[in-house]
Amino acid sequence: MAAEIKWQTEMDEALSLGRSASKPVLLDFFNPN
Amino acid sequence: MDTVTYPESKSVRFIEENFIPLRIPSDSKSHSEKFNVKWTPTLITLSPEGREHHRTVGFLGPEELIPSLLLGLGKYHYENDRFDEALARFGQLLEEYGQSGSAPEAIFLVGVCSYKRSHDAKPLKAAYEKLTVAFPDSEWTKRAYPYRLL
Repeated sequence: MAAEIKWQTEMDEALSLGRSASKPVLLDFFNPN
Repeated sequence: MDTVTYPESKSVRFIEENFIPLRIPSDSKSHSEKFNVKWTPTLITLSPEGREHHRTVGFLGPEELIPSLLLGLGKYHYENDRFDEALARFGQLLEEYGQSGSAPEAIFLVGVCSYKRSHDAKPLKAAYEKLTVAFPDSEWTKRAYPYRLL
């Protein structure tokens, strides 16, 4: 089974994880339609 | 991106190792207005404090995604005055993806970072000279044009 990116879906949660891991956030705005 | 670029195992590994990946639908008005998003896909490198460091709009194939992300990582460090870390990212980009669309800006920023770290102007001129040879028609070559006089 191919690996998949484990996307976060909440901004505040992603920023908090970024602070904990000392990593930047890759924010992808996508077309949901 | 979902069908071509993101499923690549190299893309998955790179993103998971270097970023907290976050996806937000463009119809999420509060977020798209805050970041002034008008088209998709829009990819933004954010600091954990929410500050934007790099943005691309439109499709990126597998061969362009990682160099663009390396450019974003380098700019994230550069804009926080971590010049050694920034130079390491730009160097990786140029070594592994030296013909990518992100390479000209990386060459320019290598010159800028090196100058800011050492206050020696030679790297700025070196960046211009490298750009004129490798990417004579790039906008970054034009932006570096004054450095020929240093």
